[in-house]
Amino acid sequence: MKTFTKYLLGIGVLVVLTGCADVSADEEDTLTWITNTADSPDSPDEDTNHYVNENIEMIENKYGLSMQHDIHTNNIDEAMARLQEQATTGRAPDMALIDGFTFDRFVDDLQPLDELFEEYEMDINDFLPFAQDVMVGDDGHIYGIYFNTNIRNIFYDETIIPEPPETWDEAMTISEELVDQGYEGLAMPLGIDEGTAVTSLWPMFWGQGGELVNENGERTFGKGDNYQYMLNVFEAIDQGVEQGLIPQRMATLGKENDLNAEVAAGQTPMFFGGSFQTGTVEDILGPEFENWEVAPLPTLEDSESTSTIGGWVWGIFTEDEEKQHAAFEFLKNTFVGKEGMGQYTSMRGLQPVRESVYESEEFDQGPFGDEYLEILEEEGRDRPASLEYSSISLQLQTAISEVVSGRKSPEQALDDAWEIATFGEEETE
Amino acid sequence: MSNTSFAPEPKKKSTIKTLREKANTRFRDTAYPWLIPLSILLIAIFLYPIFEIIRISFTDMNLVEQDFSYTFNSYIQLFSLPGFWPMLGTTGFFVFFSVAFQLLCGFVIALLIVRGEGLKLRGTVIVRTSVLVAWAIPGVVIGVIFTMLYDETSAGILNHFLSQMGIGPVTFLSDPTLALLSVTLANIWRGTAFSMILMYAGLQTVSKQLVEAAKIDGAGAFQRLRNVILPTITPIILVNLIIISIDTFNTFDMVMALTQGGPGSSTEVIALSIYNTIFQEFNLGVGAATSIILLLINISMTMIYLKVLGKKGDPS
Repeated sequence: MKTFTKYLLGIGVLVVLTGCADVSADEEDTLTWITNTADSPDSPDEDTNHYVNENIEMIENKYGLSMQHDIHTNNIDEAMARLQEQATTGRAPDMALIDGFTFDRFVDDLQPLDELFEEYEMDINDFLPFAQDVMVGDDGHIYGIYFNTNIRNIFYDETIIPEPPETWDEAMTISEELVDQGYEGLAMPLGIDEGTAVTSLWPMFWGQGGELVNENGERTFGKGDNYQYMLNVFEAIDQGVEQGLIPQRMATLGKENDLNAEVAAGQTPMFFGGSFQTGTVEDILGPEFENWEVAPLPTLEDSESTSTIGGWVWGIFTEDEEKQHAAFEFLKNTFVGKEGMGQYTSMRGLQPVRESVYESEEFDQGPFGDEYLEILEEEGRDRPASLEYSSISLQLQTAISEVVSGRKSPEQALDDAWEIATFGEEETE
Repeated sequence: MSNTSFAPEPKKKSTIKTLREKANTRFRDTAYPWLIPLSILLIAIFLYPIFEIIRISFTDMNLVEQDFSYTFNSYIQLFSLPGFWPMLGTTGFFVFFSVAFQLLCGFVIALLIVRGEGLKLRGTVIVRTSVLVAWAIPGVVIGVIFTMLYDETSAGILNHFLSQMGIGPVTFLSDPTLALLSVTLANIWRGTAFSMILMYAGLQTVSKQLVEAAKIDGAGAFQRLRNVILPTITPIILVNLIIISIDTFNTFDMVMALTQGGPGSSTEVIALSIYNTIFQEFNLGVGAATSIILLLINISMTMIYLKVLGKKGDPS
């Protein structure tokens, strides 16, 4: 037994030592990063794939590093939760693509980038104001580089709808006319996914002055005026479905991109979506796309027009200075420098977040660039960075889906969502 | 033994030594040392995670913060929130009908294949292989395939055919009741293949002479099925029941791809609820508590099956 134990111990020590040696070697020679499939060297789009790989090769040759990437899961909430868990336990990759509205949660673990901004002549003031708010931490240091953004808007076929609706009532009137003409009514995501929250719920809720959380990040969507604002949104949508002006099957579509199939079917001349769908809708409709226009989302009575902003921010976790330089240079060349952002956002049909890029030669703003920029600047609003946000969003997505499918009344669905989201908080209040 | 028993007083030390050696020898000679690696593996891979889940279920841990405290709150929250009991009801419906029809369809297909082989019909191998292919398709892919089938626009495969007959469009996925039926049907299709394979294996063990003897004794087809075939394959049915029940309770991928638990929470089964709680609400405590409930349900179902069918299937 003693000999057996000795062998066992020996093997254990060898395994540990070999592992350590490998880890140290990896740490020195490899720049690890995590991104989305679409923004990675594995992108299914050939041009993007080629562009990203070319830039990787350049950095690898210059710094003698191997760039090793990982891909976020499709479920962004899950991906951000995993990344945050890695960051808090010191296992985060050297750099990462972070969903804009969650960025604030990572600031404690990210490296300040002020010196690198200076060294690589990047001007923080060139970034749009909303992007600067995200990039700069409470201590005044820069912690991230906003990469691209998107907004929510209404897409409509001008040959069928000459004037886009400005209010919800107008949208319902147009929808009624469409249904009478044999088209589908207003299409909007109302299933269980983030698209429902950011496209169909938040803009109308925020437009009335509603707040999902307070300044401490605590839930407020079911309290006082906020309860009434959210109920107004639920009731408006419920009435639309009851009257057949919003198809009930919207309860099964949770992502903006789920509506692409509706457009492809040719029966949907008006829908709520995201600016990132423009390229896909253009591909689907072909020459007919020329008849399509975009406009701000309609508002409820006495409300302001609001649009949820989405977008991604790059952050650097590594403390190694050489790797920080390699990472920053790669990001600048590929995604966030004036030229890089111009080329990349044009190629992918995304909205840049640097003012100079909109005027640069590299940037091709596509069919609705001006409209999107106007919506972004005048109505854009980001989701709260609160840790409670994911839970709030999920509960309200489920609640509106319950309402649309007829399982619950708006009041009951909203009350249940509030009860679930705030369980156990009564005692502490 | 005799030397040790009658040893004089001064030799006490050596007696103890001999006893120790014997004890050591006994351990070495037993199977226990050989079981140590496997035991370590089992503890590390199976028991430790279960222990961890039980521990986490008594905490308020979440996925993004490292601080936590021990509490019963996860269980209190689980049992008192409005969604839990309806979710168990949905899971019960989904599991009961999935298991019942997987068992029934699996048995009927297996019986037909065996009968076909008995009659030396061509194509039985193709049928067997086709069913096996269905079994090999990942749940997510099945979810996507059925999404296309159930699509409620004119592009939907089922609705397209129904519209040609002047029916529909049918709200397969947006009506809460129909959505649960649609998801259950997709799961029956998914699980029937595995059930058929086990049933087919079981039917191979039925003695042809016994069936022939029953036939000669005047037993009809139903009597032969009830009194000869079913009792013979009861152990296989038991194994099948246990496996497909646990499989169905743990089903998550297909439902996720097909409905994401919607509309509302009408198709949210327990495994999907665990996923949502942990990865969308980041609530490890409640997620772990729900996992423990799932574990207890699986263990209880297995015990019931063993008690009810185990005795019947016992050859002794």
